[in-house]
Amino acid sequence: MASCRGLEKSFGPTRALDGLDLELERGQVHGFLGPNGAGKSVTMRILLGLLRHDGGEVELFGRDPWRSAVDLHRRLAYVPGDTNLWPNLTGGEIIDLMGDLRGHIDPARREELIERFELDPTKKARSYSKGNRQKVALVAALASDAELLILDEPTSGLDPLKEAIFQDYVVDARDEGRTVLLSSHVLAEVDKLCDHITIIRQGRTVQSGRLDDLRHLTRSTITAEVSGPVDDLAGQPGVHDLESDGDRVHFGVDGRHLPAVLITLADLGVTSLVSHPPTLEELFLHHYDEEQARDGLPVEAGDGDGDGEPVP
Amino acid sequence: MTQLTGLGRLVRLILRRDRIRLWSWLLGLGVVIVASAASLPPVYPDQASIDAYAATVGDNPALMAFAGPGYGLRDDPTIGAILVNEVQLWGAIGFALMSIFLVNHHTRAEEDVERADLIRSTVVGRHAPTAAAVVVVGAANLALGLVCAAGFVATGYETTGSIVLAASLVAVGLVFLGVTAVTAQAASSGRAALGMAASVLAAAFALRALGDVSGNWMRWASPIGWAQASRAFAGERWLPLVLCVVAAAVGVVSAFWLSTRRDLGSGLVPTKPGPGRASPRLTDPLGLAVRLHRGSLIGWAIGLFVAGALYGSIGDDVEQMLEDNPVYQDILVQTGGADLTDSFFASSLLMLSLVVSGFAIATVSRLRSEESAGRAEVVLASGVSRSRWAASHLLVAFAGAAAGMVLSGFGLGLSYAAVSGDSRQIGRLVFASLAPLPAVAALIGVAMLLYGRASAAVVASWAVLAVVSVIALLAEVLRLPSWLRQISPFAHVSQVPAEAISWPPAIGMVAVAGALVAAGMAALDHRDMG
Repeated sequence: MASCRGLEKSFGPTRALDGLDLELERGQVHGFLGPNGAGKSVTMRILLGLLRHDGGEVELFGRDPWRSAVDLHRRLAYVPGDTNLWPNLTGGEIIDLMGDLRGHIDPARREELIERFELDPTKKARSYSKGNRQKVALVAALASDAELLILDEPTSGLDPLKEAIFQDYVVDARDEGRTVLLSSHVLAEVDKLCDHITIIRQGRTVQSGRLDDLRHLTRSTITAEVSGPVDDLAGQPGVHDLESDGDRVHFGVDGRHLPAVLITLADLGVTSLVSHPPTLEELFLHHYDEEQARDGLPVEAGDGDGDGEPVP
Repeated sequence: MTQLTGLGRLVRLILRRDRIRLWSWLLGLGVVIVASAASLPPVYPDQASIDAYAATVGDNPALMAFAGPGYGLRDDPTIGAILVNEVQLWGAIGFALMSIFLVNHHTRAEEDVERADLIRSTVVGRHAPTAAAVVVVGAANLALGLVCAAGFVATGYETTGSIVLAASLVAVGLVFLGVTAVTAQAASSGRAALGMAASVLAAAFALRALGDVSGNWMRWASPIGWAQASRAFAGERWLPLVLCVVAAAVGVVSAFWLSTRRDLGSGLVPTKPGPGRASPRLTDPLGLAVRLHRGSLIGWAIGLFVAGALYGSIGDDVEQMLEDNPVYQDILVQTGGADLTDSFFASSLLMLSLVVSGFAIATVSRLRSEESAGRAEVVLASGVSRSRWAASHLLVAFAGAAAGMVLSGFGLGLSYAAVSGDSRQIGRLVFASLAPLPAVAALIGVAMLLYGRASAAVVASWAVLAVVSVIALLAEVLRLPSWLRQISPFAHVSQVPAEAISWPPAIGMVAVAGALVAAGMAALDHRDMG
C-alpha cells in the first residue's frame, strides 16, 4: 500500500532522512515511532507528495506520490501533527469543507463523531484550544471513507477520554479493513492499536516488523526460583542485570539466547518461572537511548539481538 | 514600572529579528527621498525656472490633490518650496507605511501566531511588547528623519527648512505609530489591524486632498495636513508638528489602556459563534479563497469607492480653474489637446490602480501564509492540485482588483456627475477604470512567479510594487531614464479617459501576466511545500 526504500531527504545541509525504509501493508495499523526530529513527519509529507524525496524509492498505492498526489489523496485522509485552521471559519464549516474537497463524508458518522468528541461545531477556529483543533481534523478524517488514514501524532492535546474514543474509531477502521499509519509518542496507544511498528532514528529505520515478533526478539525479563547456585547464570552470554535474593533471581535475557538460558535454568532446578516479553516502552527506549551507538545502522527485524550493538 | 519589565530585552529581540526588514525600510525610503531632493536643483537652477514651476503648479487644484497646499509657491518661490511640493506628501506616506507595517508586525501579528503567549509567559511586563515596538519604530522614524534632514542640507537646501521638512515626515510617521498601536488592540487579527491602520492613512490622505483643493478646514482633520501646515521653507511653524507628537502620544497611551481591557489574542469585539455546517458556497478551493478574502475584499471595495468619489468631487474645481486661468490653456496644449479634467482623472485612476495592486499582492501573499501556517497542506492532502489551490487565490486577487477598479471608477463618475451634472461621465469613467487592469494582472503574475519559486520570495513583490510606484509617481522628479520607466507595466497603460485605449500593449501585458502565472504554477509544482 505504501513503501519507502532507502528514502533520503535533505533540507540544505540538514539530512532529515538518510535511507529510511517503511513497508505499509493493506489492513495494517502501523505504528511509526521515533524521537523528535527523527523524520516521521517528513516521511509522511513525502508520502503525501508535499515534499519531494532526494533519493531512494517511495510508492503509495503503487504510484509515485509526487506525480500522482491529487489522485492518491482522494483515497486517503490526513491529520497533521500541528493542526492549524482558518481562524475565521467554524469547526463545522472546516469539517464539511474537508469532506467536500476529499469528495466523501458520511453525514451520520460526522454527527456521531462531533457528539462523541464533544466538539462545538459553531465555534470559530480561532477560539479553539489545541485539543479542539485536533478534534476538528480528526472528525474530518474519521468521517471520510478513505482507504488509508495518515495520522501524525493525532492525539496530541486530546484529553484521556477523547483519546479512548479515538482509539475506538481506529479499531473500527481496522475492522473495516482500512489501513492506518499512526505516528505517536503515546506508547500505550501504539501498544493497544498497532499490529506493526517501525522505529526510526536520525532518518533511518532501526527496527520494523510485527509488534509481537519484535517483542520476542528483544530482551525478555525473567524472574525464577532456583535451588542451585546462580553463579553459572551470571556468566552466561545474553544475560543482563542479574539480581539475586536468596534463591530468587531476576534478570533480562536477549531473545536469541533464551533457549540456552532456559537449559541452564533447568539444570539449576528451577521451581518457578515468570517471563515477561518486553513492553513497547522497553523496546522503544532501547532504541532511543543509544547515545553510545556511534553509528546506528539499520537493524533488520530478524537480527535484533537486543545488545544495542550495531549489526556488522 | 513592572508593566515594562523586560523592555530592553524585547527591544534587542526586535532589532535581531528585523535586521533585514528594518534596514530595507530605512534604506529604501532614505534613498528615494534624498535622491528626489538631490535631483531638483539641477532641474531648477535659477529663479526664472523656479518661478515658472510655481506659476504652473502653485495653484493647480489637480496637482494640489496629489502634492499639497503649495505654501511658499505663491510669492517669492524658492527651490525649498518645490522640494516640499514634490516630496513631502509621498515621503509622509512612506514614513506612515513604515510605522504601520513595523508596529503591526511586532504587536498584533505576533499574537496571531501565538508567539506573544510565549513572550508574555516569561518575566515581561504587560505593556513591554507594545512599548518595545514603539521604541524601535519611533527610533526608526527619528533615524530616517535625521538621514533626510542631513540629505536635504547636503544637497544644498536651507537648513531650517530642511529640518522642519524632515521633522514633518517624522511627525506623520509617529502619528501612524500611535494609530497602529491602537488598531493592533482593537482588531481581532493582525491582518485586520493592518487594514484599519491603512484605512486611516487613506482617509488622512483624502481629507487633506479635499482640504487643500477647496482650501477649507478639512486639511486640519488630517495628520498629513498638520505636517504640511508646518510650512517648511515658507515661514516655518512648529506648532502643528507638536500637535502630531501629541496625537502619537495619545495613540500610544490609549493602546496601553486598551490592552488592559482585552484578552491576549482577541480583539475588543468578541468572536461570535458561526454556522455549524458549511454553506454550499464553501465546498471547493475557490469558495474557501473567497471566504478567506471576503473581509479584506469588502474593506478595500468601500475604501476604493470612497477614494474614487473624493477625486470625482474635485473634478469640477479642476474645470473651473481651467476656465479662468490662461496658464492652464498652455498645459492643455501640451497634453495634446486632451481635457485637463480627463488628464486629472487618468492620473487619479493610475494612482488608485497602484493601491489596487497592493490589494492584489496582499491577496497573492496569502498563499505564503497559508503554506507556512500548515493550512495549505490540509487542503493539498485532500485531492486538490497545487495549481488549482493557487489559482483560486489568484482568481480572487484579479477579480477583486477588477471589482475595486470598477468601484473606484464608479465612485469617480458618480461624484463627478453630481458636481458637473453630466451623468454620461459615469459609464465613461467606469470604462476608463478598467484600463490599468492589465498592468495589475502583470504584477499578480510577478507575485505568483516569485511565490512559485520560493514561498518567502513573494515578499519581494512588495519591492516590485514600490519600484513601480516610484516610477509612476516620481519618474519626472527623479529624471529616471526612459528604459527604466519602460520596465514598469504601468508605463504602458493608456491614459484613459485623456486618451483612447491602445489595445496592443494591454493585450501584451495580459499575455505576459498569463505567462508569468503559468511559470509560477509550474515552479510551484516542482518545489517542496511547507
